[in-house]
Amino acid sequence: MNEILLSNQVLVYLLSESILFGLLLIAFVITFGILLKWDFGSYSEQQFLLERRAYLTMTILLFVFVVKFLLLVYFVFAIDSLSLLVPGAMCAAGVISANDYGMLLLFLKLVILFFLLLWMALNSYDLRAKNYPIFRLKSWLFIAIFFIISIELGLNFAYFSHIDTLEPVNCCSTLYGQLEGANPLPFGLNIMTLLLLFYLIYIVVMGAMLSKQRVLSVLATLLFVMIAYYSVVYFFGTYIYELPTHNCPFCMLQVEYYYVGYLVWGTLFVGAYLGIVSSIMEIGLKEERKKEQTSALILLSIFVLLCTAYVAIYYLRNGVFL
Amino acid sequence: MMKAMIVIDNLNKHFKSGDDIFKVLKGINLQINSGECIVLKGVSGSGKTTLLSIIGGLDRPSSGKVLVEGESISKLPDLHISHFRARKIGMIFQHFNLFDHLTAAENVMIPLIPTGLDMHEVNHKVEVSLKLANIFHKANSAAGRLSGGEKQRVAIARALASNPAIILCDEPTANLDRNNSLKFIDILSQLHEMGKTIVVATHDPLFDTLPFESKIIPMEDGSLVDTFSKDTLAES
Amino acid sequence: MRTSPFFHFLMLGFFKERKKHIGVIAISLVILFLLGSALFISSSIRYSLNQTLAWEPDFVVQRTQGGQKVNAPTAWIDDLLEVHGISKVTPRVYGRYFFKAKENSFLIVGVDFMDEQSNKALRMMMDETDLKQFLKGDNMLVGEGVSTHLKTHFYPNGYTFLTPKGVFKKVNLFKVLPKKSNLISNDMIIVPIELAREILGMGEDEVSDIALNVPNDDEWDNVADKISAFYYDIHVTTKEDIKKAYENLYNYKGGVFLILFLIVIVTFVLILYQRYSMVYSSERRHIGLLRALGWSIRDVLKLKFFETMMIVVIAFVLGVALAYLYVFVLGAPLLREIFLGGANLPNSVILVPVLDFGILSSIFLIYAIPFISAVLIPTWKIAVTDPKEAML
Repeated sequence: MNEILLSNQVLVYLLSESILFGLLLIAFVITFGILLKWDFGSYSEQQFLLERRAYLTMTILLFVFVVKFLLLVYFVFAIDSLSLLVPGAMCAAGVISANDYGMLLLFLKLVILFFLLLWMALNSYDLRAKNYPIFRLKSWLFIAIFFIISIELGLNFAYFSHIDTLEPVNCCSTLYGQLEGANPLPFGLNIMTLLLLFYLIYIVVMGAMLSKQRVLSVLATLLFVMIAYYSVVYFFGTYIYELPTHNCPFCMLQVEYYYVGYLVWGTLFVGAYLGIVSSIMEIGLKEERKKEQTSALILLSIFVLLCTAYVAIYYLRNGVFL
Repeated sequence: MMKAMIVIDNLNKHFKSGDDIFKVLKGINLQINSGECIVLKGVSGSGKTTLLSIIGGLDRPSSGKVLVEGESISKLPDLHISHFRARKIGMIFQHFNLFDHLTAAENVMIPLIPTGLDMHEVNHKVEVSLKLANIFHKANSAAGRLSGGEKQRVAIARALASNPAIILCDEPTANLDRNNSLKFIDILSQLHEMGKTIVVATHDPLFDTLPFESKIIPMEDGSLVDTFSKDTLAES
Repeated sequence: MRTSPFFHFLMLGFFKERKKHIGVIAISLVILFLLGSALFISSSIRYSLNQTLAWEPDFVVQRTQGGQKVNAPTAWIDDLLEVHGISKVTPRVYGRYFFKAKENSFLIVGVDFMDEQSNKALRMMMDETDLKQFLKGDNMLVGEGVSTHLKTHFYPNGYTFLTPKGVFKKVNLFKVLPKKSNLISNDMIIVPIELAREILGMGEDEVSDIALNVPNDDEWDNVADKISAFYYDIHVTTKEDIKKAYENLYNYKGGVFLILFLIVIVTFVLILYQRYSMVYSSERRHIGLLRALGWSIRDVLKLKFFETMMIVVIAFVLGVALAYLYVFVLGAPLLREIFLGGANLPNSVILVPVLDFGILSSIFLIYAIPFISAVLIPTWKIAVTDPKEAML
């Protein structure tokens, strides 16, 4: 047994993920059974039984959603502390790229949280209506989520059992640094145009949300997440680290930077998720979701302000940019 | 012109036990107008409690419809039927059904909790209904220590807490002595005056001669036998 | 206080029926206490080790023959001093001396008191020692474990060593080393280097190994390669190797404990499932009544969920607090032996309080997730109680 698997945090993490999967498996079996026999118009005892069973699925999914969210934070934290055991790793960046599964796993986690949030929104709509209008839709969505989570579980074990504690990994400066002038940014952007896009798209997102241009707001938010990712890694991050060559999305999660990374990434992703999910709900179900839209606006604005503040404060303090 | 509060349309209810199908309610048709008082009379097993449960949204019919204020309640999802119970129905049970370890006031609070009101409004409503049921002086006594009559009044206060339009009583006097039963009927007449729609399921002969206008509907073997109106006001 | 009616009701139910919860809270406390203590101890030990290792030299050079460490010749020292980038080459003399009476051994460490001490740990230990007085005769500084051991064997003021040549050598006990260094100094005896050679039977031109520092971290690999090429029988150990070995050892002990603990958790889950199925079925009428009075399935689920959360939080806070008291205030009697065990003299290490997010969140997750998962299905079962139950 390798020492990674015996590390406390990894054990706790894997155990938690396995328990959640057990619960989801129960929910999956129930949902599948319900889908086969669901007939809302019927007065039969069986239909009422199915409606009651659907509540078990809801309970499990709500629990899973909350815990998955906490576990994502815990996962990042655990990976960060593993960087002591993996040679060459200075932060989570090195550990996550210790094998091919890491990045995919992290990406899947973000996708799963998005779909779980979408499911929550659909479910609350479905419960508020008087005839379960989208019961089948949300059930199929859950079945899709279940399959993604199954893959994720496999990846969890694959990832942690394939971290080699003897083979040195790259540290974040090699993974994200600009090597020999190669441009890591997409679409051939440079820092200036990247920043221009960053603020421009932010304004478009705000405008689209406020003027209720739902389709535009979904597309703009998606684009914003992508541009924001690169902006933070290649520009704003350097101001957090106060070092122009330090390009890393993970180091800012460490105590040296007051864990600000959790706030940066948290506001970005939660804001974007809420915005996209509520817009989708408004497009598909013609239902006003004012609260979520407002929260999304506020969170994304906090994100932009936070990033900008790091640059501004640095400039005010030192009189120059990096 | 009286407005139809409850409309029951060809209502059937049967239970399955093994291979046998046991029919409890057979093709019930009934209209109850707003402000009416209906007394369902019948021996136990005649199906009156089941009918009451279905009207109150506590049980589901096997077929047929129950419309309350024009809306069918029989197929509402749980969230909505519960909402309906919380706001439209005041239920008085045969065994009082109080939480003995809670005080009278806390018992009355229970149906108000899922309505999402704040503490201040809830306390106000609890006070009003305890006073209405004439039991406010026992507000802070544990329900388990109250006498039968007092328990019944707490149960009434609880049924009134969310100011429902419909009051359903299941054998309300079965556990009361004659004196307390008469007091209960007094309160009932007050509720009648407030314009509540009242349905009582009972076999107590006291309800044959209510001091206010009421309609007695005998039930037998899952069907309504006959409907006739009886004005008892003149007699009293 | 302005609370919502829901929480008011939750508290009412919770405290008026607290007897129902006491059993579960008690089991939870035991589990959290064990888990918390184990993790606190292991993380505290790891912390102290890291502190101690920070003082260790970057490299240790040994001579090996047939895979066994043997004494190195002093001639090596001069060769090492030639290499660029190396500073503070320190010959070290140490070895185990077996105390015949009880199969125990002491670690004899010879120190060249004329030299400036490169090992900060030693320097710290010998703070406040009057060197002039110490060097006048055959004196020794001993760790606390050694001191107690000698006392119980009636050597309160010194000990007579039997050297490999068959000569008796009487050495006075000069002072006991400070307790805070116990993790490494417990079974240690510090003597002047010549005396150590005599007791251990080493020649004048021999040392046990040679420690050296390389201030530039980037040069570590280069220097290690260079030194390794000097002699055929040279073996180089870096501080990183030692650190990782310790890290793995304690991770490993913690991990094995955690795996054993999983069995406890599984049992716990089964007990909880049983217990709550039973408790809830006794509440069936109550819940049916709530449902009849207008509570939806969601409302009941919410009530039961918060009830569960309260138990989880109460047990967590109490359990962790108890474990903290036990480990860091009482010094973890009994349990510490599992982690410190293997040492040949009883060790009385002071456990330095270490409390971080990693430990707390691990304890919380490994307790709360199985707990809530176990209660989930019984909770649902009771929440979907038919409201007509109230009519029966």
